[in-house]
Amino acid sequence: MSKGHPSNQPLEKNNVNPNYGKRKPIGKALKETMTGYFFMGPAIFVIGIFILIPIFYAIFLSFNKVELLGGTSYQFTGLDNFLRMEVDSRALISLKNTAEYVAIVVPIQTFLALILAAVLNSDIKGKNLFRIIFFLPTVTSSAVLTLIFMWMYNPDGLINHVLAFVNLPTYNWLADPAIALKSIMIMNIWATAPFFMIIYLAAMQDISDSIYEAATIDGANWWQKFFKITIPMLKPVTFFVVVMSVIGTFQLFDQSYIFSGGSGGPNNSTLTIVLLIYQYAFKLLDMGYASALAVVLAIIILVVTIIQRKFFAEEKLHD
Amino acid sequence: MNKKKWLSATVISSFLIGSILTGCSSGEESGSESSNGKTVVEMSGWGASPEEQELLEETLASFEEEHPDIDVEFQTISDQYMDVMKTRLIGGEAADVFYLDASEAPGLMSKGVLEPLDEYVTDDFDVDDFEQPLVDAFKQDGRTYGFPKDFSTLALFYNKKAFKEAGLSGPPKTMEELREYAKKLTVDEDGDGKPEQYGLGLAKELARQFYKLDAYGAKLVDKDGNAAFASNEAIEALQPVVDQYRKDKTSALPSDVGAGWGGEMFGQGEAAMVIEGNWAVPFLENNFADLEFGTAEVPMIKGEQATAAFPVAYVMNKESKKKDAAWELISYLTGKEGMKIWTSKGFALPTRKSVAEELGYADDEIRGALVEGASYAQPWQAGENLPTISNNFDNQFTSALLGEQPLEKALKKAEDTANQEISAGN
Repeated sequence: MSKGHPSNQPLEKNNVNPNYGKRKPIGKALKETMTGYFFMGPAIFVIGIFILIPIFYAIFLSFNKVELLGGTSYQFTGLDNFLRMEVDSRALISLKNTAEYVAIVVPIQTFLALILAAVLNSDIKGKNLFRIIFFLPTVTSSAVLTLIFMWMYNPDGLINHVLAFVNLPTYNWLADPAIALKSIMIMNIWATAPFFMIIYLAAMQDISDSIYEAATIDGANWWQKFFKITIPMLKPVTFFVVVMSVIGTFQLFDQSYIFSGGSGGPNNSTLTIVLLIYQYAFKLLDMGYASALAVVLAIIILVVTIIQRKFFAEEKLHD
Repeated sequence: MNKKKWLSATVISSFLIGSILTGCSSGEESGSESSNGKTVVEMSGWGASPEEQELLEETLASFEEEHPDIDVEFQTISDQYMDVMKTRLIGGEAADVFYLDASEAPGLMSKGVLEPLDEYVTDDFDVDDFEQPLVDAFKQDGRTYGFPKDFSTLALFYNKKAFKEAGLSGPPKTMEELREYAKKLTVDEDGDGKPEQYGLGLAKELARQFYKLDAYGAKLVDKDGNAAFASNEAIEALQPVVDQYRKDKTSALPSDVGAGWGGEMFGQGEAAMVIEGNWAVPFLENNFADLEFGTAEVPMIKGEQATAAFPVAYVMNKESKKKDAAWELISYLTGKEGMKIWTSKGFALPTRKSVAEELGYADDEIRGALVEGASYAQPWQAGENLPTISNNFDNQFTSALLGEQPLEKALKKAEDTANQEISAGN
């Protein structure tokens, strides 16, 4: 780093000039740029093939009626695919399910992560052990997790046994349309909250002790310190956590896929947008409409994130 | 020095790109011919029990013995068979020969991705020997796209011990009797309102209910392939199913008792009767050896005999480069000789009359009822839109079973939604 310039030019006199590079002869500048792109080449190549081209291709597909089986053909249909969503009752159901899922999971998950982090940040005994235990669910693969939970959710499974033992009502967690989505919510909160807990924990340990000391001298108790110092100081992290969980929850797919065997049942109750996209794309081979749904999902996530940004930026402590 | 670096970089990168390209091309070429000059025919199918897999390998081995110049490579697609198969067909990577379920056949036949087999058929092959409805399931516009390798029908499986305890001498003959029997067979010993044994294990999917429609004069689809099951006749046909579940509380869904499907429920003794297919026989024999069960034909519906048939065919990929060898394989496997080996253990039933006669399944104690059904069974097939239709039916029928809405409304909603999706997709 201290050697300065990455190119193989010998150090020049105007090295310290902030306008360095702009004044160089065009040939050299071009050569330098080329070298830069050359080194980035592999990354650009991979990103281009696997990210950029698919994105533009999906946008292109969303305006076409695509026929895949028996000779690929595209037929430009304008906004037809987007207008079709209006009358597609399953699209509306999936949107409603996903919105409900996001609205319930994100606040609970964030709150839980904050509480867990606060507990682990205090001076309790054996906190390292608790950190490991709390973090374990995150390490498990979501497919395995879902399968294990399906056993526990079984009408004769562990959870109903425990509920019956303490005289609480039991549920048909997997097959009752009113409950199925909530079963997935519970499982997902349990599995994802610890991941955000770690992020909160790291941020909490970054808050300077001197602030807390000053507050102690002023006579603040633990709760006051938590609400007046910890939470405001964590605001940028909370923004990150909320954005990441919103994106993650909007993309709910694997759990509901495994839960319902790919159908989104019982009675469409676990049908999410991404699952619907999968069904249209690979079961009905309607790539155009599936792409349109994907584009809409991307726009929804984009808008929600922008709103969050505005919301959190108002009182941002430091930029 | 700079020049040298550029040079070496160029050489290295072109070398890398070159190796990528050659990697691709060599991938495409491999597999067409094995090293010893044999033609390799690829075949895809879904997974099966180890015993069934063994039998298939035996059948293929005997084919290879007769055709020393052909090598068969079988690939199992273990999950989401049709999704994988369609994707491979689009990508031009599908196997030369593959399994196709009758319910999915119209969708593929109309897209022109299957090779019509009429030209290959010789007199020797004896098409007339097949059960006619089973071949018809793979025909479109007068062309045959596949020959059925085997099929299953539905039959009533009943637990002999439970019947004895309930004082019943034999299986029910009519659907009304079935409902009465189910009341006697429902056992709730501890009186908690949740029976330990239900009379009937219910399969709520359209594939397992559609055969009831015909006897009442109801239709599943109209002539354009649109859903048409929201009729009074269909309500009449399906209302008893809902009533038995909701009012009598003598039937249960597998998910109510934590089972995966009817066979499991039946084996575990959670249900005294189930209407299942051939596939349940080896499952029950392997997993519940102590279970004493019998089979009977599906009880008569409104005085008519009815059951469903699920035929599966071998079809040929239109893009195949080895069509002649592929036909050799299909004609052997669906021919008299190959079918005899393949169906010899009764995992699936033979579609050729001559083979069925020779193997004598009609007299088999367990499989007899399944074979009997073949003559009047309705194949599970209803045009290209069946996946959309059955998906919507399943959703709404579930909600009617749960009492969220009356059956009439549920069927209407299912039909409307299905037809809306069909018209939007075309």
